[in-house]
Amino acid sequence: MSTSQAIYAGWMEIPNSAVNDETRLRAEDAALAVLVDQYAGALYRVAYSVLRNPADAEDAVQEAFLRVLRHRDSLGEVRDHRVWLIRIVWNIVLDRKRRAKSRPETDDVDELARVLPSTGLSAEEVAAAAQHHARVLACVDRLPPKERQVLILSAFEELTSVEIASVLGITESSVRSRLFRARNLMAGLLDHQRSLR
Amino acid sequence: MNSNPHNPKISDSASHGPSGAGDETMRLIASLPAPAGLEDRVHTALRVPPRPARVLAWPKRLNPQSGWMRTAAAAAIVFVVVGGGWGVYTRVQHNQPAKIIAMPARMPAPGGFSSAGAMRTPQTLPGPVAPQPTKANPAQPRKNKKPVASAKPANSLAHPAVSKSTAQSGQDK
Repeated sequence: MSTSQAIYAGWMEIPNSAVNDETRLRAEDAALAVLVDQYAGALYRVAYSVLRNPADAEDAVQEAFLRVLRHRDSLGEVRDHRVWLIRIVWNIVLDRKRRAKSRPETDDVDELARVLPSTGLSAEEVAAAAQHHARVLACVDRLPPKERQVLILSAFEELTSVEIASVLGITESSVRSRLFRARNLMAGLLDHQRSLR
Repeated sequence: MNSNPHNPKISDSASHGPSGAGDETMRLIASLPAPAGLEDRVHTALRVPPRPARVLAWPKRLNPQSGWMRTAAAAAIVFVVVGGGWGVYTRVQHNQPAKIIAMPARMPAPGGFSSAGAMRTPQTLPGPVAPQPTKANPAQPRKNKKPVASAKPANSLAHPAVSKSTAQSGQDK
């Protein structure tokens, strides 16, 4: 083989690193698809509990997975994918909530009446339940941010206090004390509402 | 009721606390099902990642990714820096003598008394003295005006000390 032939042969040859990269990319895509199938619903519920709007919550979920796609190289380093994803979507929804203007309470009532389970309930009962839940959510909105966040996350049965602490970046004891304060504040606010009625 | 097997303490206090209604609502919200087809929509969004929105696209020849823009930017920066340096260089005058005013040295008074910190002011330099115009006598007409030297007596031109001594010598005689 002449020198020029050898050079061309080496030039045309596909290097092993390229094959490895392609294989790795395919594996990462497959892993991401599995994550979507497994956790999209949970992330939607987290997003909805803060944003209380289905379209916004779905957008937040998509944005979270797009962020994961951008940083898929680090997927292998993540220990608990569920908590990691919840943390990503949590930051996204908090950011969106901060930017969004406050919506009137009537929007919440209508939205709740639409999404709440209404099996075996009359229209009036559904409307009354929606109003009640809207009042409770208004009280939740009046809580200080730290207490509110812990209260919202504690409602998710999938999340332990350790995982909540991991999502919020605080200690487990802080989670418990904040939750205690949040519940006391909520009790006071709800009592005040009842006395006004 | 213990609905959370992983987190018994949180669940217990939630159900028995005074804000049970609040927890119930939050739990209801947290357990809402995700809309149908959410996963498919997310898969679709991931397959087609959003492109950065651009109103105007670069022509292919002027594609900024080709590197010409970087070169042009570097050349522009070099031009600005060199031009600025040259402008400063041409404006600055080199070897310019310093404008220093020499102040008189503060010397102590020779008589033993101190000047008590008083600033000695230099004597004013004798400058050119303008010649004083001689007053012409308005009573005399111009025609009769004679030169001052000839009109005055000889004694008046002499030094006052000299004239005084001559006067004294006259008296002695």
